[in-house]
Amino acid sequence: MSILAQCGYGRGGKIERGLCDGIVHGAIMSPRDERKDRLEQTIHELGVSHPNASIMFDPQFYAATLNSPRDGHLSEFNYYNNNNGLGRTHFSGTRIQSYVRECLDYQHRIFGSNVAYLISPTIFFDAFRDSWSQIALNMAVESMDYHSSLNSPQPLLISLVISETAFQTMDAVEEFLDALTEIDAQGFYIIIRRNSASVQNAMESAPFGRFMYFCHVLTTINEYDVIVGYSDWHSFLLEAAGVTHTATGWYQNLRQFSLARFQPSSGGRRPLKRYSSVPLLSCSLINPELQDIHLANLLSRVLSGSNHDAILLNGPASGEPNWTDEISCLAHWYSLNAISQRLSGLPTQIARIQEAERLMQNALTLYAQLGRQNVSFSPMTGPDHIREWQDSLQEFRALVGL
Amino acid sequence: MTIPQLTIEQVKAVIPSAADIQEVDRGGQKIVFSGIIDGRKYALKFMAPNPSQIGMQNSEFLDDVTSRAQREVETMQQCSTPHLVGMGPIGLNTTDIQGDPIIYFSEEFVEGENLCSYLQSNGVFSVFELVRLAFHISEAIKAIWQFSKIHRDIKPGNIMRRRDNGDFVLLDMGLVFDLQDESLSVCPVGTPLYFSPEQMDFNNRRTIMNFRSDLFSLGIVMYEMATGKHPFIEGATTTWEVFGNIANAMPRSPKELRPELSEKLNDIIIRLLAKRPALRYRSVELLQRALREVETE
Repeated sequence: MSILAQCGYGRGGKIERGLCDGIVHGAIMSPRDERKDRLEQTIHELGVSHPNASIMFDPQFYAATLNSPRDGHLSEFNYYNNNNGLGRTHFSGTRIQSYVRECLDYQHRIFGSNVAYLISPTIFFDAFRDSWSQIALNMAVESMDYHSSLNSPQPLLISLVISETAFQTMDAVEEFLDALTEIDAQGFYIIIRRNSASVQNAMESAPFGRFMYFCHVLTTINEYDVIVGYSDWHSFLLEAAGVTHTATGWYQNLRQFSLARFQPSSGGRRPLKRYSSVPLLSCSLINPELQDIHLANLLSRVLSGSNHDAILLNGPASGEPNWTDEISCLAHWYSLNAISQRLSGLPTQIARIQEAERLMQNALTLYAQLGRQNVSFSPMTGPDHIREWQDSLQEFRALVGL
Repeated sequence: MTIPQLTIEQVKAVIPSAADIQEVDRGGQKIVFSGIIDGRKYALKFMAPNPSQIGMQNSEFLDDVTSRAQREVETMQQCSTPHLVGMGPIGLNTTDIQGDPIIYFSEEFVEGENLCSYLQSNGVFSVFELVRLAFHISEAIKAIWQFSKIHRDIKPGNIMRRRDNGDFVLLDMGLVFDLQDESLSVCPVGTPLYFSPEQMDFNNRRTIMNFRSDLFSLGIVMYEMATGKHPFIEGATTTWEVFGNIANAMPRSPKELRPELSEKLNDIIIRLLAKRPALRYRSVELLQRALREVETE
């Protein structure tokens, strides 16, 4: 597995740098966040400068089914603008064919071989048995049919935007998988819509374990490529489940997906600066958390090993001003990639699961040790999310019988 | 439904081009003769339409016997693989014999033995034969599925092993189900012991049945030919208990009963018997790739 850059507003030179450093292996571009001409130019340039990278274009068609979405530059794209303002009441099942054709035609015509896959349009749904999930399946089937008529050398990924609450019912998950695995595509681009998105907001353990099972059935059993977008630290658990790539970005709304991304902004202050620690499997606040660890002479125990660590070695608080957004993002990709490389080097799924368990146990041990040195963490930093993940992994192991 | 009562002389009168006519089988709905036409031996199948259904509803309504025969002939005409029984020179016809309507057609006469009788007389298959069986019958499943159809009645009695080259041939397409044909009923048909779990899900079958249902039945046949035992009969005393086992019980590992089976072949059989279609193989090609790995072990 490898990490992809989930793009959004404020891309700057992060992707180019991440690709050059080998810490991301591709990027998923966001039409909402960039001018159309600039985005097309960027995809072309990345395709030329990094021909082996997995560059993709997420059409974000699902935003058209929101009422008055904050859709940024999406309206510059005809496949979207022709259907803008559909909302849920005006979405027409009979027009699926044209939605699909316009979207795939655009990608096929403009991006050609500069993208690794064409990505189908979709709508979001809340439950596997609701009518919207059936519409999403119909769009998937239509995309499969139309893609085969396009004779595109780029394989097709079916995109799905699924609410986390859909994973509450296992029977429904299995029924949906039965239907999904009838689709003859290269794979799936899956986004889990969170009810709210905040730092270290782990999904409930049982639904996340079922989502891991969902990915396992698609990848390990049925040999589809599966890319999970808007991912974060839990990527290593998805890797243990068999996922092909996960994508993560620089802001919190590019690490967890919620509809807030398309709704009017309520404003807010700049996020506090954080450090991505592989040993802790979380993003600690540079000040005070990392500073307290430094004062307890345990900084080396929580560092991830990237070149950027040098900024913080003489004291995280004094290094904080130099810890820019770009460095923070690159350090995060470095950390997720380091864990991914550790797992992907293992020969079997059970070995990857055991390594994931070991990483979590080590993190909990380290949190406990730091606690004994009076280092305290905010609830957002940990370690409760690790216990949730442990339960998720147990749920997953029970479901697959491993 | 009645089996038509026919003599060899009556068959000769209906198909005068046929020579050396012999009765070879008499089943629930049909009587089968063999006959030589233009120097080749064929099976000549005769069925009596269901009189209670003729003329019901409207003029386009076919009784179940005729519609089965029609499906069988249509599928044989569409599919071209040596692992599905082929069509003979006489297409679907109707005639009257002593005032009784009769439908008939011809198909390839497969010289050989079906797997039921093979198992009784020779015992279980070698690993080589098991893999060969899976390859050939999966080819047949693929050929039918190309037309969005499923066989629905894969069982040892419907699989012949050719005497001349040992190839396996899937017979009896009378229950073939066309997922795109809204006119066909979805009432439960087939042989219950070889049903897939979704075949027993009477409320939802049209939407979730596809070729993976046939793969499940193939898994039962492979299990039987590997171990001599049906995977879901153990501990069951009634058909409903067998249904319950098919729907819910994990069978014993074939390797437990036949230790010389490789892990890979064991895994293939178990995977074919997965309760959910999504846990089997999403394409016949993936199954065949796994089988090739067994071959190269």
